[in-house]
Amino acid sequence: MSIVLKQIAKRYGSHVIVDDLCLEVQDGEFFILLGASGSGKTTVLRIIAGLTRADSGRILLHERDVTDLAPQRREIGLVFQNYSIFRHMTVTENIEFGLKLRKLPRNERTRRRQELLDLVGLSGMGDRLPGQLSGGQQQRVALARALAYRPKVLLLDEPFGALDVKIRGQLRRSLRRIQEKSGVTTILVTHDQEEAFELADRIGVIERGRLLEVGPVEQLYFRPRTSFVATFLGAGTVVVGQVSEGKARFGELSLTLPDEIAAEENRRVQLLARPEQVILSDDPRGPGVVSLGQGRVIEEFFAGSHRKVRLRLPRLPGTRQLAPQPPFGEKSLLVDAVVSSSESLSGRRRFVGLRDYHILEAPPRRLLVLAPEGRGSGSASPLVRWLIRKLDASAIRLTVLEVTEAGAKEPKVEARAKTGNGGLEIRTRKGRLVSEVMAELQESLYDMVVVEAPPEKRFFSGAYGDGPELIDRLLKGSDLPVLILKGERERLDRLMICTAGGEPGKQDVKEGGWLARRLAIPVVLFHAVRREFESGPLTRAHLERAAATLHSLDLEVDIRLREAESVARAILEEARNSESDLIVVGRHFPRSRIFAGEDVTRQVISAADRPVLVIAVEEWRLEIPDVSAGSGPKL
Amino acid sequence: MQPRESGRLSADGTGRRHQRHSLGEWLLVGLVLAYAGLLLVAPIAAMLHGALRPGLGAFWNEVSSPDALNALKLTIVLGLGATFINVAFGLAIAWVLVRDDFRGRKLVNGLVDLPFAVSPVIAGLMLILLFGREGWFASLTDALGLRVLFAWPSMLLATLFVSLPFVIREVMPVLTQIGIQQELAAYTMGASPWRTFWCVTFPSLRWGLLYGISLTLARALGEFGAVLMVSGGMRGLTETSTLYIFRCLDDRNYGGAYSMALVLAVISFSLLMGMEVLKKRTEQRR
Repeated sequence: MSIVLKQIAKRYGSHVIVDDLCLEVQDGEFFILLGASGSGKTTVLRIIAGLTRADSGRILLHERDVTDLAPQRREIGLVFQNYSIFRHMTVTENIEFGLKLRKLPRNERTRRRQELLDLVGLSGMGDRLPGQLSGGQQQRVALARALAYRPKVLLLDEPFGALDVKIRGQLRRSLRRIQEKSGVTTILVTHDQEEAFELADRIGVIERGRLLEVGPVEQLYFRPRTSFVATFLGAGTVVVGQVSEGKARFGELSLTLPDEIAAEENRRVQLLARPEQVILSDDPRGPGVVSLGQGRVIEEFFAGSHRKVRLRLPRLPGTRQLAPQPPFGEKSLLVDAVVSSSESLSGRRRFVGLRDYHILEAPPRRLLVLAPEGRGSGSASPLVRWLIRKLDASAIRLTVLEVTEAGAKEPKVEARAKTGNGGLEIRTRKGRLVSEVMAELQESLYDMVVVEAPPEKRFFSGAYGDGPELIDRLLKGSDLPVLILKGERERLDRLMICTAGGEPGKQDVKEGGWLARRLAIPVVLFHAVRREFESGPLTRAHLERAAATLHSLDLEVDIRLREAESVARAILEEARNSESDLIVVGRHFPRSRIFAGEDVTRQVISAADRPVLVIAVEEWRLEIPDVSAGSGPKL
Repeated sequence: MQPRESGRLSADGTGRRHQRHSLGEWLLVGLVLAYAGLLLVAPIAAMLHGALRPGLGAFWNEVSSPDALNALKLTIVLGLGATFINVAFGLAIAWVLVRDDFRGRKLVNGLVDLPFAVSPVIAGLMLILLFGREGWFASLTDALGLRVLFAWPSMLLATLFVSLPFVIREVMPVLTQIGIQQELAAYTMGASPWRTFWCVTFPSLRWGLLYGISLTLARALGEFGAVLMVSGGMRGLTETSTLYIFRCLDDRNYGGAYSMALVLAVISFSLLMGMEVLKKRTEQRR
């Protein structure tokens, strides 16, 4: 085994960069670490090289523990994205630098240098200075320099990032050839999927410092295990359904479950179909193992060797679409396919079938329930217990966090899985409530926070201990939905989603809809109109699209519209009138100009006598489709 | 101040100066020439005239007088010493300011320019406050039996102070620009930090450094105010060339003043010219 990483972790302050990462790379393997920018991939590479120290974990190179060794003694070759060759040295001097350090005799050096110049295709350019070389040639020199002293491991940090597309393609091919010839174990870090597909023996997908999945290229592309990899790597259609009677059910479709997924009733599963697995045909009984019905081509892109098309089909009842990310208000099923470039299908109707598909387990949503201060989880309110019972399906993972005063000798974080209550995990942290909760949110990935509000009405005065401050920090310091439990309710029977005061409210609709779906309760869609700000037709169009989105989640929707002077007061009144047990409102980030003078969210939280779910609304995110889901590589 | 920029680019980017000469341009060129003539050429001419009018023999007599020779020697020793020390510490300070992040980094960065802003006379005054009879360090220097004020140590300190920023300000931008990746690459190839500095970092710095050295030396040779304050100006002992010139003027020995001034000017001028030549030659090699 050439490279072994054991539980590598790295953080800056409370920011987790690399989280408990384990990896094994075989001798002579070309391994690619693929991730978006900021995913921690470069940090991993720097840790292997010894340029950054890991906080914990071990690094083994060829069975030698190098964790505490300086980079000089790790015997690695490293190529950076920016041309890091020595500017004042000729190509020859650059390549021989590592050899001179190893005190190789002159004739040996000359021989090796010739060999490498031939290998990277720069014979005869030994006397040039970096300034006389093109960017691609400089990277070739950097590669030759890194290989010259026969390192045991070659590390490449986005080596083609700064080059133009054509040179990149050429260099990629020669890199693959050089790597095969030299047989050196290689790790390349990149965000470019095309590069990963073309070069890798195996790919590891890294996200937020976690290595999500490792495997051969085709396995990750056609048979990913995680939802993230399914949507991050390449294009495709992803639909969420569930297990029913031992089969994966997506509407009327009933598909055989793969062996690795336990046939547990109601377990949520995803159907992944890559564009080239989709068959379009004029014949209703067209080819393919699965028929999705008839659809119309709504988008078409000419891509030279093929055409990319998107079709709109009747929805599969009981399913939710993840990719391609449905636009707000879309209630049909969207399917991406590729067809030959010779014939345009724009606007045509076709029967859609799948030649092949893949079923994977849907990731559970993770909810963090904050135990009330000083009381522990045992005395949770009836509503929390009801939520835990109701949500504790295989689709949701619940963590209850207790924060207690720090004891000097006890471990700071303690986790114990409570059995018998279906995967409910209880974590105990010691320290100050607010900082420990924020640290927990940093360390683990959660999708929603549930917090019980203290009984006081004056919320943001900060005069009532840590409780109000905690809610304040949660609203300001994280972009997770925060469910604030207020009032004396024991269950939730109706949920009201507010799209008030001219805000786009798309995220509220999605998140609120998700919760209503999980709890199987009806939804009131409420819009408070402020005459001076709004135009009637726009509002109606917005509400219609919101309702369509909710219908696509199989929810019962009741639309209410009302004119109001004070939006907050209107929301509270409507909640009472419609007997809604939970109010869903959006929270704007400080830069928002819409509520500059009037913080509706805070007014609602302070004055409400019932639970409030606060959803972060990032204006820009609503307009730009999420990069991680959808837009895949060119096929 | 960047040593590597010597390209003569015209607006059209062909490297040739343009040939259109409008009236406005003629006026501008005339203005520049007149200004430079008034400020640079005329004083030099006057100095040359003053030094050489009595004849070369008289010039030589003035320059080779024991006082003049002593002053010149002291100036050169102080200049070289200050330059040597400021190169070492200037490199270290520039390195720390660029590469390390610590509390107060910005403050130190600002303080480096203090000698530019503070009048040399005030710098001298500060040294008197430190090392004078009632000064902060007086007891310490007395205990050590060290004579600082009105002796060479205070003169060196004064020269160090006024010539501190040059190396730092020349090296810092280069250090920032070359970045750290070349060094990291060298580390992974097996080079020790020391070796990396000499083989990888230093060669990139050398022109900035050389420029900084020549500016430091030129400044040190020409220093007057701070040294005047702390030296006492004892003839043959603590009198530098500039102080010598000043005294000659006082004594109405104009020939001595002009001659010494000419010598200093020639030294500084050849220093700067030498730099230019070296720079040209390395640029041609590139």
